[in-house]
Amino acid sequence: MLNNEPRGRILPTLVTLLVVGILLMTFDVRLEGGGVVGVLRTGTQTLVSPLQKGAAVVVNPVADMVDSLSNMAGLREENAALRSENAELLASIILVQDQLARLELLEQLYDLEAAGDELGRTVANVIGRPDAFDAALIINKGTSDGVAVGQPVVDTNGYVVGTVKNVTGGSATIVPITANRQALTVVVGDQIGTLLSVVGSRDMRLEVLDARDPVLSGDRVLTSAVSANYPAGLPVGVVVEDAAPSIDSLRSLVDPYVDPDTLRLVVVLAWPPDPVTVTQDDTVIPIESTTTTEDTTSTTLPGDG
Amino acid sequence: MRLPRGLIVAMILMAAVIIQTTLFGQLRIVSPDLVMLFVILLALTRIRSELVLGTAFLSGLLVDLLGSSLLGLRAVVFTVVAYIALRTRERAEIGRLATALWAGLLSLLGVLLLVLIGTLFGQSSLLGPDIVNRILIVPLANLIVAALFAPLFVRLVDGDTTALRFS
Repeated sequence: MLNNEPRGRILPTLVTLLVVGILLMTFDVRLEGGGVVGVLRTGTQTLVSPLQKGAAVVVNPVADMVDSLSNMAGLREENAALRSENAELLASIILVQDQLARLELLEQLYDLEAAGDELGRTVANVIGRPDAFDAALIINKGTSDGVAVGQPVVDTNGYVVGTVKNVTGGSATIVPITANRQALTVVVGDQIGTLLSVVGSRDMRLEVLDARDPVLSGDRVLTSAVSANYPAGLPVGVVVEDAAPSIDSLRSLVDPYVDPDTLRLVVVLAWPPDPVTVTQDDTVIPIESTTTTEDTTSTTLPGDG
Repeated sequence: MRLPRGLIVAMILMAAVIIQTTLFGQLRIVSPDLVMLFVILLALTRIRSELVLGTAFLSGLLVDLLGSSLLGLRAVVFTVVAYIALRTRERAEIGRLATALWAGLLSLLGVLLLVLIGTLFGQSSLLGPDIVNRILIVPLANLIVAALFAPLFVRLVDGDTTALRFS
């Protein structure tokens, strides 16, 4: 069955490469993706991302077309549902506009100023994924657009997608929450818990230590103010099974709102807020920058947070 | 004038990486692993075996560096796959169907190794929600791509228009 030709240096080469590979894996695990490994990743992505961005210009319309063709049967139903949803949303917009006008009037009456709690947002296109087994997303915005490692990413509805893992000048890699080994601190009702990915499932496991009340199917799961990686109150998902506290903890499953496989557009949030530079006399000055590109706009506002 | 073989291999590798991370990154229903297939088909060329292994390792490392999973994971997997491809390449030279089946089986071995080694090193995210589908679809897609393009690939790399001409 096997080729019996003289193998020469094949086997020593194989063994050497395997040893180097295993050493690299161990090194990466120990460094947790930082240090030299992080520099190597950033360097490689800097070299390859211009080619990926160029290819994405051609590829995205093709991908859209294939997606549309494969979903042809469901498109009519989806269109009808969207029309109905659109009508409802238009009604909601009118209601919100009324409320905004009322709010503005009240602010003028009471001489109030805006709290300035808007976060800087960078809208980015998903230009690719490494391969079928890596859930990471590659986006077309990087440090030159204000994106930084660790920043949270949401979809266009504001639902949590994940965090920025690597960033180059013009691109970044996003790790979705469903593929992240780190737990996400969330809040369900008034109880704080953690969300962890589940092997082989799209759902995530919710664990609430110090649980007092049950969680019910349909309860919304939001990011917690305790979380260091996300601003509070971002919608993450919905509880899919009822669970009652057992002694003082409970476990349930959460269906995340976002399916990373279907994302084409994401929003990177400038979090933690207040990116600052320190001048020579140690005066702290907020960074302010606004850039506009052809298809998207990225803005970093002063006084985020 | 013919380009140096190393340059041709590098250009095909980069094309495979770009197409895989952009086009097939967007089309989740059809997802061949072009870089793994490139490594497998390289075993059919006249490139020295040690160089095939080295290229397989570097190709895997490149994909690792572009993604978020463990550095060295695909490098190890692709090197093992390339080694087995080199040891069994005679089976693939019988005909186009044999080449495709051989590439498909090696791809299946590759994805199984990827999942196994990845899981051993704590990469549970590799076991996503539709893992069984992906384990089957990737080798199947590679089989089809190999059936279509394997002879062309070998001829291009070796600069030999008679290579893999099945009667």
